[in-house]
Parts: sequence; structure tokens; C-alpha cells
Amino acid sequence: MTRRLLPALLGVAVLVAIPLSIRNSFFLHVCILILMWTVLGAAWNVLGGFAGQVSFGHAALFAVGAYTTIILYLKGGLAPWWGIPLGGLAAALVSVPIGLLCFRLRGPYFALATLAVAEIVKLVALNWESVTAGSVGYLITTLPPVRLFGLEVNWEGKPPFFAAAAVLAVVALLTTGWLRNSRLGAYLVAIRENEDAAEAVGIDTVRAKVVTLALSAFLAGMGGGFYAFYFRYVDPDAVAGIGLSMEMVFIAVVGGLGTVGGPLIGAVFLTAVAELVRDRFQMGHLIFYGLFMMLVIRFMPEGIWGRVRRLTPGARTGG
Amino acid sequence: MALLDVQGLTRHFGGVGAVFELSFSVNEGEILGLIGPNGAGKTTVFNLITGFVRPSKGTIRLDGQSVVGLRPHAVARRGIARTFQIVKPFPGLSVRENVTLAAFLRHPARKDAEAAATAQLTRVGLAGRVDELASQLTLMDQKRLEMAKALATRPRLLLLDEPMGGLNATEVDDASDLVRQIRASGVTVVLVEHVMKAIMRISDRVVVMNQGEKIAEGRPERVVEEPAVLAAYFGKRVA
Repeated sequence: MTRRLLPALLGVAVLVAIPLSIRNSFFLHVCILILMWTVLGAAWNVLGGFAGQVSFGHAALFAVGAYTTIILYLKGGLAPWWGIPLGGLAAALVSVPIGLLCFRLRGPYFALATLAVAEIVKLVALNWESVTAGSVGYLITTLPPVRLFGLEVNWEGKPPFFAAAAVLAVVALLTTGWLRNSRLGAYLVAIRENEDAAEAVGIDTVRAKVVTLALSAFLAGMGGGFYAFYFRYVDPDAVAGIGLSMEMVFIAVVGGLGTVGGPLIGAVFLTAVAELVRDRFQMGHLIFYGLFMMLVIRFMPEGIWGRVRRLTPGARTGG
Repeated sequence: MALLDVQGLTRHFGGVGAVFELSFSVNEGEILGLIGPNGAGKTTVFNLITGFVRPSKGTIRLDGQSVVGLRPHAVARRGIARTFQIVKPFPGLSVRENVTLAAFLRHPARKDAEAAATAQLTRVGLAGRVDELASQLTLMDQKRLEMAKALATRPRLLLLDEPMGGLNATEVDDASDLVRQIRASGVTVVLVEHVMKAIMRISDRVVVMNQGEKIAEGRPERVVEEPAVLAAYFGKRVA
């Protein structure tokens, strides 16, 4: 028990210490991005890492969350701390029919179907102007005034966003940790290992996959909601592009598929790579992502976190 | 009443008929051998009963209740378990975890499922290998693992698809004993097998199929002398 509790407490301590001690707003911005990508990597990992269902279309779920949150705020006046979970919920609802449709396919065919779904969602966002404002997109100019412990929250600074991202990242990692130890998590590993054998021993594989996709969509949708609230701008290219889907895959793979800590590690490495090269190349970070991912797959196919765990004496397999 | 009752079972794949108007029943507590030359449709019959393939026509009843149209997991829940001719373990998981996953069907709590899994692994003789990866087992042991997984779902009817294929003579004897012992514990068994020695020794009754149809049925020593069976296996001139 202490082996699990100690890193968890350490993590929370670091999360509390960062905004209190660091005044450099660029560094805080990078930390916020890392936490946001942790949530998204964890969302993808739940489905891709545990259940082995490779999705190339998670941007669709991210977009549903982002649009839900921003529309609820701009048109309904609903504050982001309600809007973000509702964005997650909307993405989870949308994911159910997508799952029932796409899970009729297996392996690469499933992956291609999810790619098509993401393109469809992007086209809908572009053309359904009465709801999504088309290619113009939505912009948040001011956030609502809030007092916390008697202090006015400063939305122009980074700390409130850091706190929100930290909460979401903790939720995402706790969800993954719960999943790993649950019966559903065991079923997903069985599905990844051999789907027919899983059915033969009484596992309802379609239900397990649909439930997992909904869970994954909830996390991705909350990530999208956070994005809308932090960047204050949502348009189809920003939230439904294929690049976004790919980055979620990269983070989960580089960190370590089917592990709890993997998405956090993957987000740290890939955000660092992206920010290091962003000065010199405008979209170049994706090239470096690709290079980095090839190196990881070649030299440590179990991912960075997976490798670290294997080298730790006494580490359980599959964690 | 028969435990399993199959009537008029038919399945076409496109224009090709794999199983045609097949009817047979299995009594509670019986070991039924399902034999026939390669391509006779035996594995397809298993796939039809367990819901992996839907029948084009016909009925399949377990204890009077139709199982046609149920997905494989639901058929397993009703109490029909199967093994696969080409073994399908969860290769990257330990032997114990493989069987625990099957035991979850009747034991929702992990601790109970693991205990049930250990009991089945002891029964099939894999107690000493529970921590090994399934992919590292020998073929014989992988076949034992298939049986342990199927048994861990606590079936009433167990369908074994060539559990002895590829085993040597001693291993065939061990496997035969195991099948008899499974029956003694109250599980009804249907056995697809090419190892005739085993079929003759352990089945109470056999059903012979050829090209998707039933050509004979009865006690094993009688059936192998029927001209239609000899013709199916060796050609008309021998018969």
C-alpha cells in the first residue's frame, strides 16, 4: 500500500508546490500543457492501451467537449467548472453510437473507422453554423468573477488554470488506476490479448468496449472543455484536427501503453520536445514527435514508463 | 429430456453448405463423440452452438431453451463452454490470470475468482505452472489450459474441439482420463476428435458427419463398422 501511496502523495505535493513557487508564467504555461496532455493521453490509453482498440479519431471527442463547454458558457452563461464535466458527459454520450457502429470492426478497420468519424465531426463543426459558428469559431472575452477564500480569482494569471488542469489530471490518473485493478480492466486486457477467447469465457466484449470508450470519451471531452476555457478560442481546425488525434496516440505510446503513469511521462517528454523546437519551426514539432516516437518504438516498445517499471525490482507485470 | 437438442441445423457460407439439416441430441452426463473426415463441418457445429456463427436454419436448445441468436458470451453464461482446436490462450498473461478471467463469469470478486481458477488448474494438472506466461507452455499444457478456462465458467455442457490433436500416446491417455473425470464431476461432454483410440475408449455414443450431414449415429464400436462411415473415411471400394 505504501508503495502506491507514497508516489501519489509526492505527486500531489509537487502539484501544490508548482504554482506557489514558480512565478515564470511561460514555465507555468508549459506545466498546464503537460497536465492537459496527460488527461488526453490517459483518455486514449484507457481504450488503446488497456483494451487494445487503436483510435485515430479521439479529436472528435475532444471537439464535442470543447464545443459543449464554450457554447454552454457563451449562450447559457454556464460557468466552466460546470461546463467542463458537462463537456465530458456530452462526449461520452456521443461516443456510444460511435462505439456501437465502429466496434463491429476489428483492428486496423476499427482504427480507420475512427479516423472517418473524426473527419465527419470536423465537417459537421465547419458546416453547422447555427450551432458551431462554422469556421469563424467562438471566442471567450471575459471569464466570470469568482471569489475563493475571500480572494478575487485572477483569470489573467496562470495559477487558476494550473489548478483546474491539475484536478483533471489527477481525476484521469485515478480513473486509470481504478480501471487497472477492476474487473472491467481485466476484461479489457483479455480483449486485447484475444477477443474470441474473451467472448468464449463469457466476457461481453462489445459492452466492455462501449463502456470503456464512453469513459475514454468523458476524459477526452473534459480535456476539450479545459482547452476551450484556457485558450478561450474554439474552431474546427483547432479542436477537431487529425494532428490532435495523433498527439494523443503519441503520448500514450511514448509513455507506455496500458500503464497508469505512462500518459504523464509521455506528456512531459513530448511537451518538452514540442516547446524546445517550436521557436524554430512553426509546425515542426510534429516531425520531432514522429522521430521521437520511432526511437521509442524501436528501442523501448513498452514505452518509457513501461521500461522504468520493468527495471524496478519487484514491479508487477501489466501495471 | 436431452440436455442439448439440435434440430435441422443448417449453415451456408455463400453458396457453400457447411452443415446441412443436422439433428442430434446429447443426454445429461453423456460423452458424445462427434467424428468425421476433415471438412465434415464438426468445428462449424461447435461455432454454431456457441454463437460464433449464426445458423442459416434450425434450432439449438439447451435444456429446452433456445440459444440461437445469442452472442458467445451469453451462451457461455447459459452454461455451454468450449475449447478451440487451435488453442486461444491470452498469451501475454499468466496461466493463473488466464483462468481467473474465465472464473469471473461466476465469481465477481477477484479473490473468489482466483481461488476457483486455482482449483481448476489443479484439476487439469497445471498447479505447478500458474505463474508462467500462457505463451510459454507446451502444446499439451496449452490444451490443459484451454480446458481449465472452459471449466472455470462452470459449464453444464463442455464442447472439446480436438483436445488430443498433436499429443503423443501417453498424453492422449492422460487427456482421456481427464475427460472422463470431468464427466464424472457432472459435466456433459461433446468431443470432436480424430484420435480414434480415444474416441472408442471414452465416448458413450458417436455421431459421424460427412460433408455437413450426419451419416451415422450410435455406439462407437458399431458405428465404425457401418458401410457409410467406412466409405466416408476410406472411399467406396473399401466399404
